[in-house]
Amino acid sequence: MKKLFAIFVSVALVFAFAAAPVFAGGTLEKIEKTGKIKIGFREGSIPFAYVDPKVGKHVGFSVDMAKLLAENLSKRFGKKIEIVPYTVTPKTRIPMVVNGTIDIEMGSTTYTQKREDVADFSMIFFFSETTFLVAKDSGIKTLQDLNGKKVGAARGTTNLRAVEKLAKEGKFKPKAIIVTETHPQGMLALKTGKIDAYSTDRSLLEGLRMKDDHPEKWMTVPFAIAYEPYAYIVRENDSDFRDFVNNTIIWAIKTGKFFELYEKWMGPKGVVPIPMSQAYKSYLEMMVYPISDGWWKK
Amino acid sequence: MAYNFDWSVLWRQPYGMWLLQGLWLTIKIGLLAWIIALSLGIVIGTLRVTPWKPLRFFASAYTELFRNVPFLVQLFFWYYAGPMLLGDRLGHALNQIIGLNYYVAIFALGIYTASRVAEHMRAGFASIGREQYQAVLSTGMTQYQMYRYVIIPYALRIILPPLTTEFLTIFKNSSIAMTIGVAELTFMSYRIDAETFHGLEATTGAMFIYLLLGLTVVRIMGFIESRFKIPGMIGR
Repeated sequence: MKKLFAIFVSVALVFAFAAAPVFAGGTLEKIEKTGKIKIGFREGSIPFAYVDPKVGKHVGFSVDMAKLLAENLSKRFGKKIEIVPYTVTPKTRIPMVVNGTIDIEMGSTTYTQKREDVADFSMIFFFSETTFLVAKDSGIKTLQDLNGKKVGAARGTTNLRAVEKLAKEGKFKPKAIIVTETHPQGMLALKTGKIDAYSTDRSLLEGLRMKDDHPEKWMTVPFAIAYEPYAYIVRENDSDFRDFVNNTIIWAIKTGKFFELYEKWMGPKGVVPIPMSQAYKSYLEMMVYPISDGWWKK
Repeated sequence: MAYNFDWSVLWRQPYGMWLLQGLWLTIKIGLLAWIIALSLGIVIGTLRVTPWKPLRFFASAYTELFRNVPFLVQLFFWYYAGPMLLGDRLGHALNQIIGLNYYVAIFALGIYTASRVAEHMRAGFASIGREQYQAVLSTGMTQYQMYRYVIIPYALRIILPPLTTEFLTIFKNSSIAMTIGVAELTFMSYRIDAETFHGLEATTGAMFIYLLLGLTVVRIMGFIESRFKIPGMIGR
């Protein structure tokens, strides 16, 4: 009986903590009140959001977009809005937005219908595809070459789901699917021979490859197994804030700042050169709706 | 914030099966690692009090090395760097093993917990009076016989309560194996989260399963304790 009581007490304690204060009101009001915006960044999504060991800070394309967002917020509220950076992982990025720890996640998250059930997304700002990084001398060129090989992917990613789905449907027969915690760990597994191919988005794989000591030893395979449109995660049912984020993206495209940032991170001299395809460029141009000067005002 | 609780993720297929599979793996890792930990821990703990200096030194070095490095770091070391220490050929062969992460988890958890068991053994030995050792030796037993037949069984019965804690801890520590991709209970609850976004329910479910597992272990160890305790030494 005594033990039963102890269990009840511990359960009650858990729920007391779980019922953390739920804030009311929109994200914009909260930002105005606190003067801060809490943004989640990834630690290894090169070149979108990653920690640069030289400066020990988050850098990347999406991080620069976050700076533009904060600039616009500052203009709207007439005071400096500060970015409070949080590090998120594929596993934590959605729960942290949903439970209010961060206001927005700005990294390289794939927009999926399943995720749309619990959170909202900004407009799509980039397109990638799920593919594999392999050793150049491995001779892997097609999906069938991966039969009998060990394939890795990070936990909680759309890539892992795509690989598992293909294997389940019998489209290819890997010897094993190894799950890693982060992309750098996946790269380590590939380099130490634990896996023969590591799967994530092509842009991120190119980022991992460029950061390696011997980028010429690795290559991404010429085929893709899934399509990955990127968007930023915001909270469900807060359209004012979501509009503000979307307007920032549209404004960045219209003023050319978006292309400057693209050039900086993914241009020929960027961290990870990814040529902008004609389709992507057309998409960006066509997405732009008329936006007036001073749109950020209330 | 609108969060809709959906507790059915705990039994709905395939999620319910995932949790059971995870639990089974957790139990397997815990039991196998415990076999390593207990046998190795008894040996190392005994070596720490034997009269031979090199052996004593080795045992202290082992204990201090493994109990002063975080388990997560040890696990990463054995999984990523371990095979490379064995040279190119052997390391490559090891990396080809399917389920290497599972074996590494058992091995790492076993030898880590062994260092903790060894410390409890030392405490057990210390609590046995000096005159006991002298009495045993005066009957003509050798050092080996003294430890094998008298001191170790005696010490083990004294340290049963802390061993229960270690046995419980080994199941809880097995959740760290998730970080190298072992699909044990915590891994499965996170996987349900990734699939359904009902992480709160999945984690709560995992919490209760761990609690039940722990209470079962306590029950079993309580039974063993009541059978093997030395009257007057523990459980007064």
